[in-house]
Amino acid sequence: MATTEHTKPGRQFRKTSPDSEHSEPWKRHIILQLKHRDKAQKIAFQDVIRSYVNLLERCAQSAVITQGLLSSPRSFSSSEDLSSLKTATGELAYKVVELQQQIKNKDTFLERQHARLNETQVKLKAVEVEKDRLKSDVKVMTDSNLLLKNEYDTLRERCQHLDEDYRKENLHGSVLVEKMVHMKEQAAARMNHLNERRLRARQAGLHKELEMAANKTLNIDKAPHSVSLPSSPLLRRKEGGENLPSSQTRVFRSASVTSPRLLGSIRGLFEKKRRGNSVSSLEEDVFTPIGVCLVARVPNRVIFAVDAHELGINAVRFGPSSNLLATGGTDRVIKLWEVISGMLHHRGTLDGSNAGITSIEFDSTGSRILAGSNDNSALIWRLDDSVPKFTLTGHSRKVTAAKFKCNLRQVVTGSGDRTVKIWDLGRAACIQTIEVFSYCSDLVCSEYYIISGHFDRKIRFWDSRAASCTQEVPLQGRVTSLDISPNHREVLSCSRDESLQLVDLRMSNTRMTFRADGFKCGSDSTKAIFSPDGSYLAAGSADGTVYIWNINTGNLETRLPVMHRTSVNAVAWSMSGEYMVSVDKSRCAMLWSDI
Amino acid sequence: MESSLEFSSSLTSSTLPPPRTRIFKIIVIGDSGVGKTCLTYRFCAGKFPDKTEATIGVDFREKVIEIDGEKIKVQLWDTAGQERFRKSMVQHYYRNVHAVVFVYDVTSAASFRSLPAWIEECRQHALGHEVPRILVGNKCDLRHAAQVSTEVAQQFADAHSMPLFETSAKSPQGGSNDSDHVEAIFMTVAHKLKSQKPLMLSQPANTVTLRGRDQEEEEQRGSWGCGCWRS
Repeated sequence: MATTEHTKPGRQFRKTSPDSEHSEPWKRHIILQLKHRDKAQKIAFQDVIRSYVNLLERCAQSAVITQGLLSSPRSFSSSEDLSSLKTATGELAYKVVELQQQIKNKDTFLERQHARLNETQVKLKAVEVEKDRLKSDVKVMTDSNLLLKNEYDTLRERCQHLDEDYRKENLHGSVLVEKMVHMKEQAAARMNHLNERRLRARQAGLHKELEMAANKTLNIDKAPHSVSLPSSPLLRRKEGGENLPSSQTRVFRSASVTSPRLLGSIRGLFEKKRRGNSVSSLEEDVFTPIGVCLVARVPNRVIFAVDAHELGINAVRFGPSSNLLATGGTDRVIKLWEVISGMLHHRGTLDGSNAGITSIEFDSTGSRILAGSNDNSALIWRLDDSVPKFTLTGHSRKVTAAKFKCNLRQVVTGSGDRTVKIWDLGRAACIQTIEVFSYCSDLVCSEYYIISGHFDRKIRFWDSRAASCTQEVPLQGRVTSLDISPNHREVLSCSRDESLQLVDLRMSNTRMTFRADGFKCGSDSTKAIFSPDGSYLAAGSADGTVYIWNINTGNLETRLPVMHRTSVNAVAWSMSGEYMVSVDKSRCAMLWSDI
Repeated sequence: MESSLEFSSSLTSSTLPPPRTRIFKIIVIGDSGVGKTCLTYRFCAGKFPDKTEATIGVDFREKVIEIDGEKIKVQLWDTAGQERFRKSMVQHYYRNVHAVVFVYDVTSAASFRSLPAWIEECRQHALGHEVPRILVGNKCDLRHAAQVSTEVAQQFADAHSMPLFETSAKSPQGGSNDSDHVEAIFMTVAHKLKSQKPLMLSQPANTVTLRGRDQEEEEQRGSWGCGCWRS
């Protein structure tokens, strides 16, 4: 009875929370304790029960004995036996009393145990309540923890995102700064340029005023001069007296005498050029290709280097007079240089283009410069004016090549918009547009034909009157440049398969290929040229080297020492055969010679 | 970009002064944060800027002033003090420059100590001694926090034969209370340039008569070309 009561709560407990059995040692501990107590108490009661059972047995025995005795006296009826039985009964009665006493004791003990048991059970209940409370607490705790953890996770994610964003913005910022610096650099260059231009304009204005002042005072001057011819001392003094107050005009006078000379000297500069051209032909005969170079000298060393532009240089040309050089750069301007005793002297800047210059050509008289520009136009300057005389607009992409026709009244331009246009300078208008099927990277022209090089790896020949393609020459790579030989019999192409091809114009299937170890086209507009005597080819490579091939032997003539730090964009050879100039992507121009 | 384009286009068209107006290009250099922008702003706009940020590359400020009846345009090049914002620009700063203004901060000894480096940069860009230089100690309204004494600065200025000015772009009450000290400084430079310039101008006027176009170019080369030549 007691055992079941004791073990019950334990079992119930186990049933209700089997999962938490191992997790909560205190429960097990309670159960163990209860079991112990149960066992101990059962043992105590077992004695009582056992002795009680004994007592009952004995009672039964004594009843039987008393019956026997009651009957036996009839059979035996001895007083001795009776007395002994009486004492035995007395003893037994005593024993009974004793045992009853014992039972009573045990009962009280049992009662006490019950009370304690109840007490413990109450305690257990309280503990269980406490446990439930704690359990719910734990649950609340875990819930809130989970919540916090989620929150923490999202925060961490956001933090990471923000970090990433920050990094990106930082990068973006530095890129912007870079761009900004670059733009500021351009703005600064422009400002300097404007300042220079203004200075020049100012000086020009000053000269003009001086000249005007001179013309005005001329009459006044003449009179005293003519008078002073007799040169009487009196008159001379008079003249001196006159000069004193008009010392101001005197300055002007001295200038006035010379300002025509100033203009004359400018004119002379150009005339000199023109004279320089006329090595081969009559001065006025502009139709003949001018300048015949007998022997070109292969250069071997740099005699002068200069950072000629603000940005990379794309094009370079010598004027027909061999001492005038023009360079065109990404910085939108053309600069003119004079070669004097192995040095390049800056002689002026031609501006007006809104984007980088792609190509330059002098006309054969050396008085005009034609340039192609990245702003989709071609421009023509007279050398004595920094403002363009003509701006030929009409192409829809950059003008990659612009050439004078032999008659000098027409200009042919090639563009990235897959057209070639012919312009009449008399009307300053486009008179013909030829669709050329592909990006035109360069062209050369003669009076009746145009040869264009394309990105689709073809050189095309056009009849300029019929605007029809008469011939196609396939190559292995994009054509980067074309040049026509001085005798107009061969055309030279440079292409991105790192080779130069020489095509005979009369038999276009006859070709010569020039290659060299290490020669590599630096860009889609790398320019290769003929030497002025038509016996060498020159081209700059991506590694900053200039290669020169001999046409007669078909072999590499020389590889000039590496002087450029970046890829060479173009080379030019002076008509005299004396100088060569190479220009590179990092705005450096180098003058080469063999001396 | 937008603004600079606008700026330059306006320069070429509307605000382009008649060619007779002379332009003095003056560059203002010094450490980052010494107040170059504030000084130039003070001079050109007549007030202290509310807030400035680090100059990137260069800012141009112009002011037309009148000296002895001649209108002169002072073109201030407010350069960036931070190396990363000026890197490739330095050559543009020094081209055709008419005068150089070195600025240091009187409350920062470091900015004073780096002056020799700036002077050296100036020298490297082949600026002749005929180009006037002045030394300006800025922020002298913060006298109590000054780290560079006037004596030391004066010694330095004497050693490099530059005139020294101490001023403040914020409250530029210099010697004379009413006049704007900052303006006075730049006006001094302009006066010096003006008094010096005619010599240079008259020279070509005389020699051009002999050499013509060559001379004009010669002069240009003399004044700026040297920086570009590489031997």
